[in-house]
Amino acid sequence: MTSIQSTLGEEEGIAEELAAGQREISIAEFFEKNKHMLGFDSGARGLVTAVKEAVDNALDATEEAGVLPDIYVEITEVGDYYRLVIEDNGPGITKEQLPKVFGKLLYGSRFHTREQSRGQQGIGISAAVLYSQLTSGQPARITSRPKGQSRAQYFELIIDTDTNEPEIKADEETSWDRPHGTRIELEMEANMRARSQLHDYIKHTAVVNPHARIELREPGLDEPLKFERATDQLPAETSEIRPHPHGVELGTLIKMLEATDSYSISGFLQGEFTRVGKKTADSVLANFRDRHFGRELAWRPPAAHEDADVAAAVADAVSNKGAAATETFASRVAETVGNHDRLTHAELTGIVETIAEEVAADTGKTFGNTVRENAIAAAWTELTAYGDAEDAPDDETRDLITDDLHAVIEDATSTRKDDGTVRAVAEALARRLANHGDERFRFTRSDLDREIADAANFVVDQRDVSFGETARENVADALWSLMETVPDDPPNVNAVAENRDAAAELLEAMRETDILSPPTDCLAPITEDLVEAGLRKEFDADFYAAATRDAEVHGGDPFIVEAGIAYGGEIPADGGVEVMRFANRVPLVYQRGACATTDVIKSIGWRNYGLDQPGGSGLPSGPAVIMVHVASTNVPFTSESKDALANIPEIEDEIELAIREAARELKSFLNKRRSMQKRREKQDVLGRILPEMADKVAEVTGRERPDIDGALARIMNNVSVEREFDGDDEIAVTLRVENHSDTNEDLEITEIVSAEPTDPTGGTVVDMDGEWFLQWKPTVAAGEEATLTYTVADDADFDVSVDGVEAEKLTVNA
Amino acid sequence: MATNDQDARAQLIDLAAEFYDQFAGGQIPEMTLPTRTKSNIEYDPESGVWTYGDRTSTRSANSVRGARKLLKAVYTIEFLADQLEEGRSSTLRELYYLSESWDNDEAQFTSQDESNDLVEDLEIVSGVTREDFHMRPEESGATLMGPLRLREQTRRGEREIHCQEDVGEGGYQIPNNPDMIEFLDHDIDFVLCVETGGMRDRLVENGFDDDYNCLVVHLKGQPARATRRITRRLNDELDLPVVVFTDGDPWSYRIFGSVAYGSIKSAHLSEYLATPDARFIGIRPADIVEYDLPSDPLSDSDVNALESELEDPRFQTDYWEEQIELQLDIGKKSEQQALASRGLDFVTDTYLPERLDEMGVR
Repeated sequence: MTSIQSTLGEEEGIAEELAAGQREISIAEFFEKNKHMLGFDSGARGLVTAVKEAVDNALDATEEAGVLPDIYVEITEVGDYYRLVIEDNGPGITKEQLPKVFGKLLYGSRFHTREQSRGQQGIGISAAVLYSQLTSGQPARITSRPKGQSRAQYFELIIDTDTNEPEIKADEETSWDRPHGTRIELEMEANMRARSQLHDYIKHTAVVNPHARIELREPGLDEPLKFERATDQLPAETSEIRPHPHGVELGTLIKMLEATDSYSISGFLQGEFTRVGKKTADSVLANFRDRHFGRELAWRPPAAHEDADVAAAVADAVSNKGAAATETFASRVAETVGNHDRLTHAELTGIVETIAEEVAADTGKTFGNTVRENAIAAAWTELTAYGDAEDAPDDETRDLITDDLHAVIEDATSTRKDDGTVRAVAEALARRLANHGDERFRFTRSDLDREIADAANFVVDQRDVSFGETARENVADALWSLMETVPDDPPNVNAVAENRDAAAELLEAMRETDILSPPTDCLAPITEDLVEAGLRKEFDADFYAAATRDAEVHGGDPFIVEAGIAYGGEIPADGGVEVMRFANRVPLVYQRGACATTDVIKSIGWRNYGLDQPGGSGLPSGPAVIMVHVASTNVPFTSESKDALANIPEIEDEIELAIREAARELKSFLNKRRSMQKRREKQDVLGRILPEMADKVAEVTGRERPDIDGALARIMNNVSVEREFDGDDEIAVTLRVENHSDTNEDLEITEIVSAEPTDPTGGTVVDMDGEWFLQWKPTVAAGEEATLTYTVADDADFDVSVDGVEAEKLTVNA
Repeated sequence: MATNDQDARAQLIDLAAEFYDQFAGGQIPEMTLPTRTKSNIEYDPESGVWTYGDRTSTRSANSVRGARKLLKAVYTIEFLADQLEEGRSSTLRELYYLSESWDNDEAQFTSQDESNDLVEDLEIVSGVTREDFHMRPEESGATLMGPLRLREQTRRGEREIHCQEDVGEGGYQIPNNPDMIEFLDHDIDFVLCVETGGMRDRLVENGFDDDYNCLVVHLKGQPARATRRITRRLNDELDLPVVVFTDGDPWSYRIFGSVAYGSIKSAHLSEYLATPDARFIGIRPADIVEYDLPSDPLSDSDVNALESELEDPRFQTDYWEEQIELQLDIGKKSEQQALASRGLDFVTDTYLPERLDEMGVR
């Protein structure tokens, strides 16, 4: 998807190109051939698609202008045709823009950008215009009134199907009651068989755009469908971003390399990609060098007991520089080399170069390139001499590298490896590395892996021992970590652009480097609160939950997934739950079964969350609505008609997490509701049985009926509030609060008294027009009780209310 | 109202008063009972019977189930108290049907097991027997036959009955409350409790009771309380040895167990119902082998029952362990009437005399 899009984006007018390549096919034919891809495969569907494209456009236009959208959709029957009218209160449109927006197929202002927007391809509205023109022969009628203008402008627009060029047939001033906005009128062959999809589309659009006001009139409706605004908050403005290095593909990269003004790869990376600065560019370049040039293996300088002498060898290699200067040069090279734990050919070269300059400055003798090269070669031989090398003199069969390799391999492999085997591998590998053909021991990781595998296979064959994948990988890792990135300058942009392999290496390097995720200000999630508000607005449910995930990245495009659940209330309980899918705030109404969202919902074990799920998998059933919104700079659809999300694992994971987050809230709501229901049932039954039992007990024992409230409160784990009086003239009122539950209860007890209370224990007293509000906020621990007292005249009335505890858990006897 | 009845009534009212006090004290009404399972019966060395151990379970109004149980208990208490006051009696089954007439649907019994259990619960907590509540079981029809003269208090006055001379072939029918019987005179050497009607009739036909001065008690399967009670009294008051003659299968051993040790369900009354001196005469698994009796193979449920008996504390004696293990070993069971394979007189002429001699009863 990314590659097609970005590749297309590099060039203007793909349709013209297509048309040019297929002279004999007109744009009408092109449309006819591709209309299923564009969502116009039937009259029923064509109408929905046209509405959808026009409404999407209208929403985008109003939001871009910072206006709260007010959108009017009207469908009427006109003879054999349907007339579609869509009005918005956007900024209007100028004559110059007009053909571009409505006329030319595949003109798209969003085609090049990485920014979240509803339309992504610039096919939509112009396809609707073309469809109407092809089926009814009527032009598109457009009325526009830019903000601040007193008159509106009326246009009729037709697309020349031979040239794909729009023609403006009429252009006159007119009056329009909207202060600003755009009105499009299209006539088309259509039918209303997809009425429910149309309604779904409009309703879902309202859910996901709580800031929009939408009205729909169509022949089947007696009353217009009106969706009011739930918030005045416009979606956050999004900003455009450059591509992310993790999100490009080879073809795109090569095109970008060809097009860039930068000379160096570093400049190219920093200039063309988001989240790449100097440091990141350097990391990418280091990775690129490792791939392009390979790394150099660093070797130990010779130890005293070894048959090697750097100083002597360097001295031998220098001629005509005088004994003193030669001696100084050789001994300083030897000394510096000796100070290193390990060093590579490149490092040695650096050392020799530096010392040559210094000695030249001290002694006045010039150490030219030839001398330096000889010195480097001589010193390098003293570090890495390997006698078996083909070009080694017969009398000088030294091996300075096998022991070194042996030590590395021994460290890297498990102690259970037989030392003989390790030694044999070291010998075999030394032979292969020495004969690899580069005396600098430069290898790419894949070269290194290959040599190690080869050496290991050889030893396995020879000795009938095992040296498995893990051991090989450990050895390779150990050696790779001893290798150093070479200082060679990377090829420039042009060189890489021309060399497909180098470009592939650069791409790999980019992918391998850790780079910050792309910035997410290019995305405008609906946000948790507004998802919930949207659901609340359109569904009369008992419960709502919403979750917005943090931004993630797929293929260099950031995305955010949001989910919402509404449950119970007026939502129909029979059949499967209603699933609402959205991409960049656009409802997806077709191809539900092919959508990643649906797959994810089906894969979740809904029984865990308290929803029925026949068979334990598949779409859950019950009175619930599940909505999922994916916002991205590039939403991956399964096809151009943008009906279903493609199954991208990263996106599926986030969809699942978002849904589960909301579902967890649903679960705790349902659990609580169930336990409250149980409690209510228990309360009902016991509330009936126990008084009867008390009556019977009183009857049998011949006593008064006992007071059973205490027992009841205890049984129900309840909080009970009881009133007691004491005294005659002035009565002492006691409210006894007993907590029989197993948790602490924070209560808010308000007593309204008709006479002024005195001496209340704690609490506050407020006089309100002859009524006194006494309020306490006691915390009563599990199994404890609290006593609240005050004194009042004996003719006072009382009314107590208790908050802070569920009604089911409360027994008030006061 | 008899003093006995007054006491029983007072005990019941006390129970209700206990619930009353719990309510009044703000407590959740509850009733504590010994746990009535195999694992909670213990041997009481003093009385030689098995009674309930220390484990208890509580019926509490805390749950809907518990509250319903207690409501039923209170209604039953009222019914029993009224019955005692009026000097009437009823059967357990009548109680079950009578609950339908109660004004409260919640208090009605859903099955007779439920009402039977509840009456037993009330026996336990009040310490009054069912008989003293004037609750009868359905007619069990168990009978006595043998040289015994007794006096029975009937509703129509006292009757003196000789259990051979004054009765027909069927014998003397044991009344529901055997404590209404007074033993007057007897010529009994031992009491023989017989499980099946067929064997009882065989013994009577062969004149075994006459020939051996034996009182034949027909158990009729799992013996009713009255049958066990009269057996206990014969043993206790007349000091007669008691032997039990059943089929040779695990279910019959349980019949012996409830006669001799007390049943698990009525362990609270073991002291009153069980006859610890009773001994098992047969059919023993050893007899199946010894007399080469016709037999059936043990079914799976027989094997399970035998294994469960091995874990039953009442059967954990050397004698029973040996017999049960032998039976599991041979995998066979035989009925009492299998003895007929050796002739109709074999049981009275050979088997029982031999076994009685072996046991030193005769």
